Amino acid sequence: MDAALRATLDWLRKQPSVRYAEVRFVDTRGERLRVRDGRPEQVTAEASRGVGIRVLGEKTWGFSCSADPGEASLLAAARRAASIARASGAAVRAPVVFPEQAAARGRYETKLEVDPFAVPLEDKLAALDGPARALRSGDARLVSAEAWMDWTHQEKRLLSTEGTDVTQSLTFGACGMHVFALGADGASQRRSYPTWQGGEGFQGGYEGTSRLDLSANVERVKEEALGLLVAPPCPSGPRTLLLESSQVALQIHESCGHPAELDRALGSEISLAGGSFLQRPLLGKLQYGAPIVTLVADAITPGGNGTFGWDDEGVPAASCPLVDHGLFVDYLSSRETAAMLGRASTGTMRAEGWNRPPIIRMVNVSLNPGDAGTLEDLVADTDDGVLVATDKSWSIDDIRLNFQFSCEAAWEIKHGKRTRLLRNPFYTGITPRFWGSCDAICGADDWRLWGISTCGKGDPVQSMHVGHGAAPARFRDVTMGSAS
Amino acid sequence: MNDLLSLCESVLSEAGETEAEIYVSLAERGCARFAGGDLGQHMELSEPQAAIRVAHGRRVAETVTSRIDREALVAAVHDTARAARLVPEVESFPGFAGPGEAAIESPPRHAETTANATPEERVERLAPALDAIRAAGLVSAGMLETSRSSHAVATTRGCRRAHEATVAGFRVWALETPGAGGAAGYGGHVHRDVRALRVDEEAERAVRICKMALRPVSLDEGVYDVVMEPEAVTELLEWLATIAFGAPEVEQGTSPVAGRLGERITGEGIDLVEDPSDASELGFGAPFDREGTPRRRVPLIEGGVARAVLYDRIYAARLGATSTGSALLPPGGIGPTSLAMAAGTAASVEELLSGVERGLYVCRLHYVNGLLEPRRAVMTGLTRDGCFLVERGKITRAVGNMRFTDSFLEALERCDGMTRARKAVPTWWSDAGAFVAPAVRLRALRFNGRSQEGWR
Repeated sequence: MDAALRATLDWLRKQPSVRYAEVRFVDTRGERLRVRDGRPEQVTAEASRGVGIRVLGEKTWGFSCSADPGEASLLAAARRAASIARASGAAVRAPVVFPEQAAARGRYETKLEVDPFAVPLEDKLAALDGPARALRSGDARLVSAEAWMDWTHQEKRLLSTEGTDVTQSLTFGACGMHVFALGADGASQRRSYPTWQGGEGFQGGYEGTSRLDLSANVERVKEEALGLLVAPPCPSGPRTLLLESSQVALQIHESCGHPAELDRALGSEISLAGGSFLQRPLLGKLQYGAPIVTLVADAITPGGNGTFGWDDEGVPAASCPLVDHGLFVDYLSSRETAAMLGRASTGTMRAEGWNRPPIIRMVNVSLNPGDAGTLEDLVADTDDGVLVATDKSWSIDDIRLNFQFSCEAAWEIKHGKRTRLLRNPFYTGITPRFWGSCDAICGADDWRLWGISTCGKGDPVQSMHVGHGAAPARFRDVTMGSAS
Repeated sequence: MNDLLSLCESVLSEAGETEAEIYVSLAERGCARFAGGDLGQHMELSEPQAAIRVAHGRRVAETVTSRIDREALVAAVHDTARAARLVPEVESFPGFAGPGEAAIESPPRHAETTANATPEERVERLAPALDAIRAAGLVSAGMLETSRSSHAVATTRGCRRAHEATVAGFRVWALETPGAGGAAGYGGHVHRDVRALRVDEEAERAVRICKMALRPVSLDEGVYDVVMEPEAVTELLEWLATIAFGAPEVEQGTSPVAGRLGERITGEGIDLVEDPSDASELGFGAPFDREGTPRRRVPLIEGGVARAVLYDRIYAARLGATSTGSALLPPGGIGPTSLAMAAGTAASVEELLSGVERGLYVCRLHYVNGLLEPRRAVMTGLTRDGCFLVERGKITRAVGNMRFTDSFLEALERCDGMTRARKAVPTWWSDAGAFVAPAVRLRALRFNGRSQEGWR
């Protein structure tokens, strides 16, 4: 296989019309396990292997791929990619500017304590079945419960005409559970742990699921699900809003991570996701949030869903602020897009797999911890407010300004104490105004690196692992309502 | 015989398992994605996929792989068989599909012109549209795609199905600015034959709407009568499909249909049908699902009354029903792929607008989410690519994008007009499916936000 990759790259180097090319071998293995109401709902092993070839011709890009990593197939794919780049030149006005990058060499590997694929399947299913059965027990209103575990292992090898040759071995996990409660009036409530499905990921091994300890959280989750059935609706109107950390992570994802993608700002993602209010003239000038808000694009913190060694253009992983003490200072970028700003790439180009081209993706876009202590300290410091937890629905406009998120649960806060449970809360706002209203962020003890495993972007859509570090935070004068 | 079906048969024969099912598909897609007025991402994507299930008694495991050569598939069957021995039983597992009835006659889904389209042909079709939008002083973005796909299913019980399809799609935006918001217009068309793709017409539509959308005014939040184009309606239907009609959601009690079959759940004029057999230009559905079950025409809502739920084989067996051929491709689930809303009687969108004293004309919606309160189908989302104020039956000016939050089923209760013409809009999660809808008029939809209100 190594010889086939090198032969393909050699052929590409010899093509006069090819300014740059990369050959990316990706071998992905996965496991999706789900139990529901005492039975296995999904027991799926996944495998995907192939090579993606991206070519920069005289004016623009071409991309092709092959599931067969044999030399003949790869050479055919390379010819197609070059041919596509050539044909596309007729619909491009100016040649792409693609700055040189020093060749990267090396290997990155996820640090694992326990290889999840070495754990017996029956043990993993049993680890899910116990909590899922317990979630449903004891009350007929608990009508359905699920627990799940997902594992992905990806081997990537990137070779480029610049001499880059890097290998990465990445392992991702996700694990969680939820229960549905059904009231006599037909109303349904879901309560999840550790957060909504899709936001509970991490990079690491089976030890990550042990740390979650599903069983220890069963009784609380059941109690809250049942409590929500009889809870009053969340009142509407402007309130002081406290977000627990996974909801801060979702808020970062939608209202900072995506708008900070430079391809969106430039209009390259209109055909699926839209643009961005973070336009270039605002760089270094826009007060995106309050001075206590610093958001960092970090691809180096161990255990993050968005942590790696190099991106899929061979740019080394880095950490750089996007918002520094409230000021918008940088984008998530690629070599091509950063060059348009006279900057260097922040190293965020990644592809879902071998049959997709790399695009700008979030890494771990994280909110630095503040000095407000723990969540309980923050509650004690709040005279009148609402604490919301666990995302339920998410919606934001096509330039990422107007958002509305609903959550599974809310608690009224009066005089520094959590009082009654509230159901079907949502909150809505305008991104910079919302982050500008942030007046407290909890400290490092309550800061947690969350992982989203299903971030969709690109056209055709690509799913990606990204991360968000966040601590609970407080926002003033936020419009709230109830979907009830 | 379809090559993939031969492959499936040969793999099952060599693997020698007693109870196994193999679904194999291969899609080859040519995607010319343009933005900022240039063709910046032109890709040829290969998407091989096999989904193998093996059962030992009622113990079932699955493997999904991109390696669809014979040797790899046989090995995958053996691996799946080993996993199946370790899995708890699924009590309701009915076995894999047998030969059953002959597959419903495969509707026309294939065009050689699309299957053989080259990069040069895609560029040739696209270039005039980019020029036309540029000539209008606007910025283009979008995608022209040609794809071909083959699908086959075989089981050890004798089920044999095969199908081939092509899809040519064009989505185009004309924009005031490349990515900063501002006025935008959209056009889109999907057809199995690339020669029939309305590239120039849809680019013209995008330009026309974008120009109409310049200099928007800000409108107060509140309740408005709304006329929605099919692209907006299908986005709401996609969410309704996600939360309402699959047997798992009904069994779980989260679906608005749960416990309400036979009851009126929305307006009397509303008919929704899962119609994979549509042989017209609006039809893109495959004739069987991944289990090999023929996909049936299933009326889901008739005259506003909830009539049916969609099943795969396991859920059908457990709940005492018959599979509707609604097992979705991996990662799985159960749901419609060809949902169609029945047409109305209005001759045009203008006729619908004529019945609005003061309201909104909405061309598309963005980022709708239907998980707020699924039992009532409460959804939220924003307008996009054209939102206009309607006064005394006429469009009078552009409006900045607005957020709605309302129950879709309750809004359909207040639907009092639909066009005769309908449009197919591809579902973004499915390569093979498209939802069909007319333009509709909904009374008193609740809007609770404005997209750029006061941020600068």
